[in-house]
Amino acid sequence: MDGNYVALAVTLAVWVGVFIFLLRLDKKVKKLEEKLK
Amino acid sequence: MWWKILIFVVMAAVIVCSFVTPAPQEQIGPASRIFYYHIPMAWICVVAFGMAMVFSIRYLKTRRPAEDDKAATAARLGFMFCALAAVTGSIFAKITWGSFWNWDPRETSIFMLLLIYGAYFALRSAVEVEERRAALAAVYAIFAFLTVPFLIFVLPRVVPSLHPPDSVVNKNLEFTMGVTVRWIFFTSLLCFTAVFLWMFGLARRVSTVGRRLTEREM
Repeated sequence: MDGNYVALAVTLAVWVGVFIFLLRLDKKVKKLEEKLK
Repeated sequence: MWWKILIFVVMAAVIVCSFVTPAPQEQIGPASRIFYYHIPMAWICVVAFGMAMVFSIRYLKTRRPAEDDKAATAARLGFMFCALAAVTGSIFAKITWGSFWNWDPRETSIFMLLLIYGAYFALRSAVEVEERRAALAAVYAIFAFLTVPFLIFVLPRVVPSLHPPDSVVNKNLEFTMGVTVRWIFFTSLLCFTAVFLWMFGLARRVSTVGRRLTEREM
């Protein structure tokens, strides 16, 4: 059961990392798009 | 913004449910939980390669560079999800069969897909003239996708395989999963599809911004 919780924590951490990366990229692209208008 | 928060919350719920509920396949054990991630990744790979083919057809009809850009973006994301499906599959293989790679029909199929789409990128980088590159890549992407249904759906079913058979539906197209497993699995499939579409949109915007910046510099 312990291994299960470790896997759960790792998977959640990966998902949070991917989500934050995508959000930041989204913001950066939005800024560049506004600059180029 | 609300839909991004929704994707985040639902995907986090899928992750938690996939680990706190009983394993989807009792005879395989906890390793079968990877099923909630591995199959959606393979699904996205098929969708993305299908999109690459559709945009390639549209490019050949209209000759608009944007269609070629969309095809290349879809193929890139498809390749990434294909590689992720191969990695998650080999983790499952190591736990279940003792080796990361066994040249099982499904493993061979995914390896062949990676080679086929790897060649697509090699082709794109080998041709310098933009219009010629786009036309050649479009024709290649159409033929490349014709192999996908055969490699993903046909070959693994006609050759004996180590893979668990009928993990989603059986030969009569009836669901083989319990209700809880079905809910988690299809919600995961939806979340992966939403994340893929978000990534596709973002990649398209990045490429448009890059193109505009290059035009400005010139």
